[in-house]
Amino acid sequence: MAALSLDRQKARGIGCGTGLVLITLVLFIPILWMIMLSLKTEGEYSQSALQLLPAVPQWDNYWDALTKIDFAKFMLNSLVLSLLYTVPTVITSSMAGFAFASLEGPGKRLYFGVIIAMLMIPAIVFIIPQFVIFARLRLTGTYWPWFLWGISGNAFHIFLFRQFFAGFPKELQEAAEADGASIARFFVQILLPNAKPALATSFILSFAYVWGDWFLPTIYLNADNTNLAAMLLNGYRNPQGFTITTVTMAAAALYVLPLVIMFFLMQRWIMEGIATSGLKG
Amino acid sequence: MASLSAAKPRWHFTRRTRRALNFYAFISPWLIGFILLTLAPVAVGVWLSFTNYDGLNVNNIKWVGTAWYERFPRDRQAVESLKLVFIWTALNTPTWLVLSFALAFIMSKVTRFRGFFRTMWYLPSVIPVVAVAWTWRTLLNDNYGLINQVVNTIRSGTVIHFLTEEALISLTMISVWMGLGNGIVIFLAGLQDISPELEDAAAIDGAGRLSSLRYIIIPMMTPIIFFQLVQSIVFAMQMFALPLLLSPSGGAGLSTAPQKDVFLYMIYAFQQIFQRQRFGYGVALIWILFAIIIVITIVLFWSRRYWVWTEKK
Repeated sequence: MAALSLDRQKARGIGCGTGLVLITLVLFIPILWMIMLSLKTEGEYSQSALQLLPAVPQWDNYWDALTKIDFAKFMLNSLVLSLLYTVPTVITSSMAGFAFASLEGPGKRLYFGVIIAMLMIPAIVFIIPQFVIFARLRLTGTYWPWFLWGISGNAFHIFLFRQFFAGFPKELQEAAEADGASIARFFVQILLPNAKPALATSFILSFAYVWGDWFLPTIYLNADNTNLAAMLLNGYRNPQGFTITTVTMAAAALYVLPLVIMFFLMQRWIMEGIATSGLKG
Repeated sequence: MASLSAAKPRWHFTRRTRRALNFYAFISPWLIGFILLTLAPVAVGVWLSFTNYDGLNVNNIKWVGTAWYERFPRDRQAVESLKLVFIWTALNTPTWLVLSFALAFIMSKVTRFRGFFRTMWYLPSVIPVVAVAWTWRTLLNDNYGLINQVVNTIRSGTVIHFLTEEALISLTMISVWMGLGNGIVIFLAGLQDISPELEDAAAIDGAGRLSSLRYIIIPMMTPIIFFQLVQSIVFAMQMFALPLLLSPSGGAGLSTAPQKDVFLYMIYAFQQIFQRQRFGYGVALIWILFAIIIVITIVLFWSRRYWVWTEKK
C-alpha cells in the first residue's frame, strides 16, 4: 500500500480506531446500564435515566442483594450444579474426542456421523421425554440428572476436542506406544497436559451453560435447591410486592461476575476453542 | 517360566482388536449416555405423542393414535405461533449473520489491539439470559428506560413500546447482541485463514476493496457462512426463553404470558405441557417443529452445491 501517503494512512488508522471504540461503546450500553442501575437509589431509577451516574453510589444495594435472600446458598447451589455437570462432561468429551481423533475401531465413522448430526439436531426433542423418564425414576428434585448428563458428554465438546487432538503430531502417540506406554497413560500423562486450551474452553462453556440455565432448574428442582438463575428470575420485592429494581440489578451483577472473571482469565483459550468449533472438520 | 504362563493364561489380542478395545473404552461413557439419554428418550418421545399422558396418569395411559397430530392444523394459536417462528427466524438470522460478518471483517483489517476488541465484543455473550432479561427490560422500559428517556427528550411525549408492541424488534436486537460475540470470533478465525497474498494479488489486478470482498473473501468464507447459517436457523426456530423473560411480566418464567408478536411455537408447546399438562400434545407439537427443522436443514445442505465454495482436492 505504498500508494497511500503516510498522513492518509494515519488518518485512516484514527478513523478506524474511533469506529471500533464507538462499536464497543454501543455494545457496552446494556452492561454499563446494569452496573449504574445497581448503584442508584430506587428514586433515581424512576426519575431520570438521563442522569447516567448515581449521585452517591449505593453500595448498600449489593449488601441487600446478598442478605435479602439467602444469596450464598443459591450461589452454592449454582456452583455445585455447574461442577457436577462440567467435570464429568469435560472428562467424557475429551476421552471421546481423543478416540475420534487418534484411535481406530469398527463403527467409528458411524459414531462420528452421530456426533455431527447431534450438533445440528434440535435439543428440544430430548427435553420432555428425558424429563418424563427422570420423573419416573424419581430423580427430579435431585441433582442426579446434571451428573448423568455430564457423564454422557456433549457432542459439541467432543467435536471440539476431536479438532484439537487431530492437530497433534501422530509421532507423539507412536513414540509412546513404542515405549510400551498404554493408550490410557499416554492420554492422561502426555495429551491432557498439552490440551489446556481445549480443556479450558470446554470447562467454561459447560460451566456457563449450567450457571446461566434457568429452564431446566425450573422444571426439575424445587424452590429450595434450585439455582441462582431460577431464583433471580423473580427479582427482589419489597414487602408490598413491588420489584426493587436496583437491588435486583446488584444481584444480577453479582451473579454475572464469576463468569466474567473466568472469561477474562481464560479468554485467549476460549477464543481459540470457539474459533475451532466454527470451522468445519 | 512355561508352567507359569500355562497356569495364568493371558489374552493375546491382535493389534487390531486391542486398538478397537481402546477405541470403545474411550467412547463408552459417551456411547452409553447417548443410548440411554438420547436414543431412549427419542423412542419414549415418539410414543408419548400418541398417548394422552398428562404427567400423572401413568397407570391408565391411553393410545390416542394420531389425534394430536390431527389437532395441530385446527389449533389456530399453534399455527399462528409457527408462522411467527418463520417471521422471527427470517428477521434474526440474516441480521445476526450480516452484522457479525461485517464486524469480523472490520476487525480483520485492524492490526493493533485486535485481541482487546475481540475480547470486548465477545463479553455480551458471556452474560446469562436471566441477567440479560433484567438489564434489557429496564433499559427498554416505557417510562424509566434509557432509550425512551432519550426519545422523550428529542420528541416530548413519544414512547416506543419496546417490550410490548415492538417486542419482535426488541427480541431480534437483544438476541443479536447476545450472539454477536460467537459469530465474530468464528468469522474472524475464518477471515484470518485467507492468505493476504490473495487479496494483494487481486489489488494488483486492479480489484478494489469491495470487489475483492465480493469475489474473493465472501466466496472463500461460504463454508463457514453455511455452517453458521444452519446453526442460527436451528437455534432461532427453537427459541423460547428470551421472548418469555423479556415480557414485562417475565419474572414469572414459564407461566409468563408472552407478548402477542413473540408468542413463539416452543413457548406454546412448553406451556401446553407444563401449564395444561398436555404432554402428548406438547410432544407432538415438538415433533412437528423437529420435522420442519430437519427439512429446512436438508434443503440447506442440498443448496450447498449452488453457493458454497469447496476446495478442489
